[in-house]
Amino acid sequence: MMRAEKMVIIGNKRGIHGRVATRLASIAVSHDVRLFLCHAEKKVECSSILDVLSLALARGATVGLVAEGPQAELALAAAVGIINAQDDARHDPSG
Amino acid sequence: MTRPVKEAKRRRPLSIRALQGIGVSPGVVAAIVVVFKRQTLRAGWYHLPAEHIEKEVERFAGAINAAGDELLQLREKLAGDLADALSIIDSHLLMLRDRMLVERTIGIIRHSNVNAERALAQALSEIKERFDRIDDPYIRERFSDIKHVADRVFGLLSGREHSPLTGEDQPVILVANDFSPEDTLRMQEGNVHGFLTEKGGITSHTAIVARSLGLPAVVGIEHATSLLATGDFIILDGGSGRIILDPAPADIQRVRKSNRRDRLLADELDSYIHLVSETVDGFPVQLSANIETLAELPTVLRFGSEGIGLFRSELDYFNNRQPPNEEQLAATYQQLLATMAPYPVTVRTFDLGGDKFFNRFPGNKAWLDRERNPALGLRSIRFSLYEQTMFRSQLRALFRASVHGRLRILLPLISALAELRQVKGIVDEVLDELAGQGHPVAGDVAIGMMVEVPSAVAMADVFAAEVDFFAIGTNDLIQYSLAIDRGNQYVAHLYEPYHPAVLRMIRQTVEAGHARNIPVSLCGEMAGDPLCAPVLMGMGLDELSMRPAIVPKVKRLLRHCHSDELRRMAQQMLQCGDCDQVRSLLARELANLYPKEYYQG
Repeated sequence: MMRAEKMVIIGNKRGIHGRVATRLASIAVSHDVRLFLCHAEKKVECSSILDVLSLALARGATVGLVAEGPQAELALAAAVGIINAQDDARHDPSG
Repeated sequence: MTRPVKEAKRRRPLSIRALQGIGVSPGVVAAIVVVFKRQTLRAGWYHLPAEHIEKEVERFAGAINAAGDELLQLREKLAGDLADALSIIDSHLLMLRDRMLVERTIGIIRHSNVNAERALAQALSEIKERFDRIDDPYIRERFSDIKHVADRVFGLLSGREHSPLTGEDQPVILVANDFSPEDTLRMQEGNVHGFLTEKGGITSHTAIVARSLGLPAVVGIEHATSLLATGDFIILDGGSGRIILDPAPADIQRVRKSNRRDRLLADELDSYIHLVSETVDGFPVQLSANIETLAELPTVLRFGSEGIGLFRSELDYFNNRQPPNEEQLAATYQQLLATMAPYPVTVRTFDLGGDKFFNRFPGNKAWLDRERNPALGLRSIRFSLYEQTMFRSQLRALFRASVHGRLRILLPLISALAELRQVKGIVDEVLDELAGQGHPVAGDVAIGMMVEVPSAVAMADVFAAEVDFFAIGTNDLIQYSLAIDRGNQYVAHLYEPYHPAVLRMIRQTVEAGHARNIPVSLCGEMAGDPLCAPVLMGMGLDELSMRPAIVPKVKRLLRHCHSDELRRMAQQMLQCGDCDQVRSLLARELANLYPKEYYQG
């Protein structure tokens, strides 16, 4: 089983809020992996948006991300990108 | 759930002339109100005989599915420019299927032998308990979304149809305890000119949807559903949050007049959509759009962009439900190019960004080491060169789609010539492969690079000989050249687009590009800032790429400029020693050149 993991600091200004949690869940689905968030000795699966939200991860919190499945590394890279986004205003050109 | 109350029972003291709430979506409207009362009727809670348990589970699953279908239907009908609403519906779909809601409810039905309503109410209160413990108000507020989702399931369990939010033949303002984001989206189909609620806050998803629809809204007016009655006439100010009851005829006139003025302004801007984007003396600047999904194409065309200056391919990648294989990417790019033809489309290759270093050794605890400098790490083109299989499939898809329009491939974060040459080597291999497999490829595909790293600016003259175009990405260029992480609250104030160093680097890049006869575009936030855009035009940029909806505004500015005035202004800016000087010069110059409303707001 492919497994990739990484520690990241949340860069999004509002922490892991609804849109970030939604995107994390969709990454798990689109890459056919199991994606987990680890924080303060808790480990939740990103397929549950409510579990992810109730971790209440604010900007600056450190979380472990674990992906398990054939595309673990790609999924992890995508997830890390989402968590690290400086802000997620959709029309904020990142040129 | 709520239902409309048609009888107008007046319960408020006549002395109340105005109410104050929180304005969450600007705009002033005058109309009669329709009040939706909170329905207090609840299905009874009861125990079930053992043989009915599985039937009850099925009934619950049916309601979940029906609620999911409703959300999917609404999602399909959404206009492409409502990206926020789309994301909210997606999060509601996830909540609807969440194990804490579904599995827990089914578990309670089975273990406590109770009906679905009782079980769902218990599951919901357990979720509420968890959310109540959260300190962060923004995340805690998401419980209201879960409640909206559960409320719809309650409604479906009791066989209730959606309350009609529309169907009025005159303009109305809707009043309720709360509306869900989905309720708000449904309002756009009817004669709803605004709404006000007892609950909610500025960060609620309902407020976000209202803003993206441009629907004036006020929230947080306690007892609004009893203070107001269907048939009352009010003025609602979605900016200040003020509600005026039984307004004087003169006030109503004033509101209607100002709405007419807003419409005229919008019409005036609309009139620029089909005009050529050039200065008074015929100097052209291409105004194109930054987009990230195909869904935005109708908006791009509506506002008259002359092409796509930046297609952020990685967001399309994130949003896909499936891994983006070559076929899917090719189909996306084909549609993108064909829709925009004959205008050019610039696709930036995957900018999988930020912090992309991950551990290749399963089980190793080294991932506890933090990436110290994510912005300087394995990101963007570096990531593509690292994950070459992914990069090659994107390049193959791009070239295969190239016959359907005018393609420009944009390479992000190039910092050294060797990197660029490595990419070009891969491009050549991909082209050979495609030719060998009999795939036709357009002969005029342009390959350009983002200039967003100081080293690329310093070497721009060398790079200009190797690429077909430059695209300056100011957001990263500012971050890298001023050494500012805009996400860091302690230094964010130093992030300064008007820093003369930034202006000089833009100028240097333009000169290097033009010396080699290649076009130079700019696609950061600066391009769409009506204050900045004239200066950029004066620096000789050939193309500015911005949010689609801003294009008419920038075009109006451009069409009132003389190119020599712009050049003179830019020259003066480049002589400034600091950003304050740049700003005051700009304020003075622009005020002399155009009416204020051209560059403000």
